[in-house]
Amino acid sequence: MSRWSSAFALVLAALALAFPFMVNAYWLSVGVLAMFYAIVAASWALLAGYAGQFSFGHMAFVSLGAYTSGLLVMTFGVPIPLGMAAGVLMCAIVGSGIGFVCLRMRGPYLALFTVAFSEVLRIVIVSENEVTGGSGGLEVTPLFHGATDMPYHYLGLALLGGSLAIMQLLVTSRWGLFFRAIRENEDAAAAAGVKVVRFRILAFAITSSFAGLAGGFYGHYIGILTPDIGSVDQMGLVVAMAVIGGAESIIAAMIGALGLEFLVESLRSYGQWRLVLFGALLLLTMRFARNGLLALAWQWLAQLNFTSLARGRGRRALRGG
Amino acid sequence: MDALPLIEARDLTKRFGGILAVSNLNLAVQQGELVGLIGPNGSGKTTTINMLTGHLAPAAGHIFLRGRRADGHSPSEFAALRVGRTFQITQLFSRMSVLENMLVPGLARPHSHWTAATRTARRHLEFLGLAALETLRAKNLSGGQQKLLELGRALMLDPEILFLDEPFAGVNPFLRDQIIELVRKLHADGRTFVIVDHDIEALQRLVQRMVVMSRGEKIADGTVTEVREDQEVLRAYAGV
Repeated sequence: MSRWSSAFALVLAALALAFPFMVNAYWLSVGVLAMFYAIVAASWALLAGYAGQFSFGHMAFVSLGAYTSGLLVMTFGVPIPLGMAAGVLMCAIVGSGIGFVCLRMRGPYLALFTVAFSEVLRIVIVSENEVTGGSGGLEVTPLFHGATDMPYHYLGLALLGGSLAIMQLLVTSRWGLFFRAIRENEDAAAAAGVKVVRFRILAFAITSSFAGLAGGFYGHYIGILTPDIGSVDQMGLVVAMAVIGGAESIIAAMIGALGLEFLVESLRSYGQWRLVLFGALLLLTMRFARNGLLALAWQWLAQLNFTSLARGRGRRALRGG
Repeated sequence: MDALPLIEARDLTKRFGGILAVSNLNLAVQQGELVGLIGPNGSGKTTTINMLTGHLAPAAGHIFLRGRRADGHSPSEFAALRVGRTFQITQLFSRMSVLENMLVPGLARPHSHWTAATRTARRHLEFLGLAALETLRAKNLSGGQQKLLELGRALMLDPEILFLDEPFAGVNPFLRDQIIELVRKLHADGRTFVIVDHDIEALQRLVQRMVVMSRGEKIADGTVTEVREDQEVLRAYAGV
């Protein structure tokens, strides 16, 4: 980790820990939701940015995890942590299945297939209203009973930190290397001995599990689940967050999600116009910073650092030091 | 040569729709051989390599690797059985570094470790003359360096047999000589080669045995001299 990265991580961690003491209840709630989106965006970046599988069904797994946990808790009285774990497991299993079905699909075909999966799941949730509550929603027991969102903030922070740590370990491991190799060239990866089928399915299963975890947390925070959580609109939002931050970096995607959630909420008074601004930002990012705004900022900072170092050396040289 | 062939194709056939790309091909390569596979465009050479490395499933016929059936194996299974290959059009992990390109096959091998794989990768990069470029992205290498990197990546499998698909295509004479020298050294170390190329002159300098294909069929198989004098080869390959 470079000096800049370490300093940035420390500042971010300190800000995150002190955040509940710095803001009012509304912004604390925005912060909790931002962390939910951060887990989803980072896991989508792992799937799309690292493994090269551009799925549009990631929010469907959030929905699946949330409903699995919600239904188990509300119908069978399962303890919430167990319900959330079951949601993660369910997403891993269904994610493996989707990964297997999508093995031969690339680019737009994969995106369209996962949109269809997402819509099928949403329609099933709407139609099976006796079980799921349909469009009216499913009331879910909250994780914590109290007047403040502070416990949710710290739990969200722990889940986000834990998820990022696992994802970062993954991308720096040999599995991460194989994910990137498959993204770059599947034939070459296979010729190099990488079990392409296994790792494509694994990528889907792992990232779907994180989406399921985020979904469980979201459900037991919001207290009511509606089918809209898995909608294409929501998926578009997550993709935009990851792309604007930088889809080829888990950390950048996370920061993109945190930044945009706060930006969107702070521009709430502009109504629908904030979405126009949001769209324009996305277009500009895709045109001028394909690796995301964070990579661009990082590059700029590195250059600045290099230039100031060079100037410092130059001055010392002039002084004869 | 009565020993069990290292790799053997028996009545290997491949169709693409109505086109018969490879027809009842019989080919046996012994351990330690250096075989050239030539033929006009569309004669089925690359299709043959693709079948012998698991990238294409044969429509009929069988593949035997060290006497064991291997048709139906995936490319990664062939790689695990120490069958390496390069591609007609260089296939690299473009946005990954040179070293990372080498580490993928190194770490895909069972019981591999980062330290040992990195050490092996650096040794091969040294051998190929790419050691100074290990941090560069593969896409930033020259065409010739990319060909060498692809060869290096195949070497990371510690292959007993290497299929090189047009290694001399589009390379300058200096690099061609370099590749010939590298192949000679690797062959001297006991590796077996099957080299597909149109550069007959380069192959003549390198191989001991030449197999000629035309329209999906093997039309000649023998020493370089035998093949050069074969009338059917002259008709099919040189249009004489």
